[in-house]
Amino acid sequence: MDFKLSAANKMIQKTAKEFCEREIPKIDAAMAEAHDYPSDLMQTFAKARMLGMTIPKEYGGLGSSNLNCVLMCEEFGKTGSTSFLPLIMNISVAETIHHYGNEEQKKKFLPPLCDGTAWATTAFTEPATGSDPTMLQTTAEPDGDFFVLNGAKRFISMANKPGYGIFYCKDLSCTDPRKNCTAFIVDKTSPGMTFSGHYEFMGLDNADTCDVFLKDVRVPKENILGVQGKGFNILLRWIAGERIQQAASMVGGGQACLDESMKYAKERQVGGQPMAYMQGFYWMFAEMKMKIEACRMLVYKTVALQDEGERFEVDSAGLKVFVTPMMQDVARMALQTHGSYGYSKEYKVEKLFRMAMHAGVVASSTEINKTIVGMALLMS
Amino acid sequence: MNIIVCIKQVPNVKEVKWDPDTGNLIRTGLPSIINVNDKNALEAALVLKEKHGGKVTVISMGPPQVEESLREALGMGVDEAVQLSDKAFAGADCWATSHTLALAVKKLSGADLVLLGVEAMDGNTAQVGPELAEALGLPILSYALSIDVDGKAVKVTQKLGDVVRVLEADLPAVITVEKEANEPRVAPMDCVLEACEKDVPVWKAETIGADEENCGLKGSPTRLRKIFSPKVTRGQVELFSGSLDEVAEKFVAKLKELYYL
Repeated sequence: MDFKLSAANKMIQKTAKEFCEREIPKIDAAMAEAHDYPSDLMQTFAKARMLGMTIPKEYGGLGSSNLNCVLMCEEFGKTGSTSFLPLIMNISVAETIHHYGNEEQKKKFLPPLCDGTAWATTAFTEPATGSDPTMLQTTAEPDGDFFVLNGAKRFISMANKPGYGIFYCKDLSCTDPRKNCTAFIVDKTSPGMTFSGHYEFMGLDNADTCDVFLKDVRVPKENILGVQGKGFNILLRWIAGERIQQAASMVGGGQACLDESMKYAKERQVGGQPMAYMQGFYWMFAEMKMKIEACRMLVYKTVALQDEGERFEVDSAGLKVFVTPMMQDVARMALQTHGSYGYSKEYKVEKLFRMAMHAGVVASSTEINKTIVGMALLMS
Repeated sequence: MNIIVCIKQVPNVKEVKWDPDTGNLIRTGLPSIINVNDKNALEAALVLKEKHGGKVTVISMGPPQVEESLREALGMGVDEAVQLSDKAFAGADCWATSHTLALAVKKLSGADLVLLGVEAMDGNTAQVGPELAEALGLPILSYALSIDVDGKAVKVTQKLGDVVRVLEADLPAVITVEKEANEPRVAPMDCVLEACEKDVPVWKAETIGADEENCGLKGSPTRLRKIFSPKVTRGQVELFSGSLDEVAEKFVAKLKELYYL
C-alpha cells in the first residue's frame, strides 16, 4: 500500500494551485460583477487543459486519472469559489458519456465538452422528486426518429448555457413503470426550452442554477444514452463520481479553513503573545488537522477504486457521509477562531462556512447516502 | 530560432522562516520553486518561439531535485531540458556557475539567444547573466522589459532604475529578463502530464568537458565569511510641529541629515 502521490500527481497539484492563485480571483471578480459565470469561463479551463481529464486523447481529452481530477478539485476547494462547478460538471458528464455512450455519441459530444465550446448539465431533479425515478413527471414520447420531451426540471446548474445536458425522463415507450427512466443527451439550445431566473443559494455565490421548462423539445433517438429505461443506473454512477469530486473540494475547503485559522491566530495577539500559542487553539487545530487528513485519505482510497475500474457507488456514498461533518465542523471552528471577523464577509472563512452547509445536500443528501450504504450492507 | 534558458531552483522565500535565536534560514521542509525572474525568461523564450518558431531548451545546475523545476519548465512548453548535476558543481559562486553554464551552452552547440532571469531571489547578485555572456564571448543585454528579434538582430527595452532605454545587438546574444517583462503562463495540464514522461538527461562535469578546478567551490573566487540577519533596533521617535510646509521642510532636512536623501 503506497500512500505517496507520484511526481506527476504532485505536478498536477502544483499547477492547479498556481492556476487557482492566478485565475480564480479574476474569475470571482467577474462573477461578482455579472452575477453569473463569465461567458469565457469554459475557454479558460480549456486553455489550461483541465477539461476532459479522464477522457481518452482521441476524443480530445487528456487520458489521465480520476485521482488527478480529484487533486484539482482539492485545490479549487481551497479557494471557496464556485467557479469550478462547471468544470466538475463538464468532466463528469463527459466521463458519463464516455462510459455509456456509443462510438457516434463519443465522437460527437466529447470533443466540445473537452475543448470548452459546450457547457455540460445534468437534469434529474424535478419539483416533485429529487431522488426517486418512479416519481419523474417529465415525459419522453416517441415520434418517428425523435422523442418529444415535456416537463420541468428543478435546480439545474448551467442549464441556460450553450452545450449538452443529460436529461432523465419518464419514457412513455417503456411498459414497465419501474424501468422507464431514460437518459437523453439534449442540446440545450433546442427549440422549446426556457429557463427561470437564477436561484440564490446560501453558499454558492453567483452560481448559475435555475429551473428548465421543456415544451415539445425534439431530441433525436440516437441521443438516447445507454440502455433505454435504465437511465437511473446512469444517474447513480454519475452522481457517485460527483460525490468523490465534491468530497475532494470539501477536503480542500477544510484545509483552507485550517490554513486561514492558523494564519489569523499567529497574527492575533492575546496577553502579549500570538493567540495561536494558547492550548485551546493547539487542540482545535489538531482536531481540524486530524479530521481533514482522515477525509483526504478516504477520498484518495475511493478514487483509487474508480481508477481501478471497481464499483465505487456505495463507497462514494459513505465517503460523502464521512466528509460532510468534517467540512462543517472545521468551518465552524475556523469561524470561532476568527471571532466576529469570521462572521464578516471580508474574511474567507465566512464564505467557506456558508459553502460547508452545501456539503450535506449536494450530490445526494447525507440521509440518502446513508440509505445507500445501509441498503448495500443489508443486501450483501 | 534556438533559445536556451538557464534557470535556478531556489527556496520559496514567501515561506522562508528564520531561527530567531541564530538568525539563520531554516531550510528544512522549505519548498523549492523556479527562481521568479527565470520564469519570466522562460515565458519570454516561449513567446519568441511562438512568433519565430524554433526550439527552446532549458538547463539548470543544481542537486538532483532540480529535475522537478526542469519538468515544470517542460510543462510550460519548453522542448528539451538538461540537468547539470555533479558533486563537482556544488558550492559554485557566480563565476563558477557562469563558467559551467557556458560549457553546457557550448555542448548544446550554442543558441541564437541565451535567456536568464535578471537575478536569483536567494542571492540577488545579478552577475551570472553578464558573466555567462563574457564566458561565451557574446553581447549582454540586461534588465530586459521586452525583446524583439528582427532578422539577425535583437532589440531590448532595458530598465535601469528610472531610466528606460533601447539596446540593440546582433545575434547571438545573452539577455537577462526583468520580472515586469511578462506574466509567466500557467502550464496546461496536458503539457504537465507529458513533461512527466520526457527524458531529462543529467550532465556531469565530464559530459561538458569541465575542469573540476574551475567548477563548484574549488573554482569559486568568492569566499563567504558570514551570513547574518541585521538586528532590528528601536529608533527614537521625533515629532515635527508647525504648518504643513514647515513640517515637510523639517522632515526633508532630517532625511538629508541622516543621508537618506
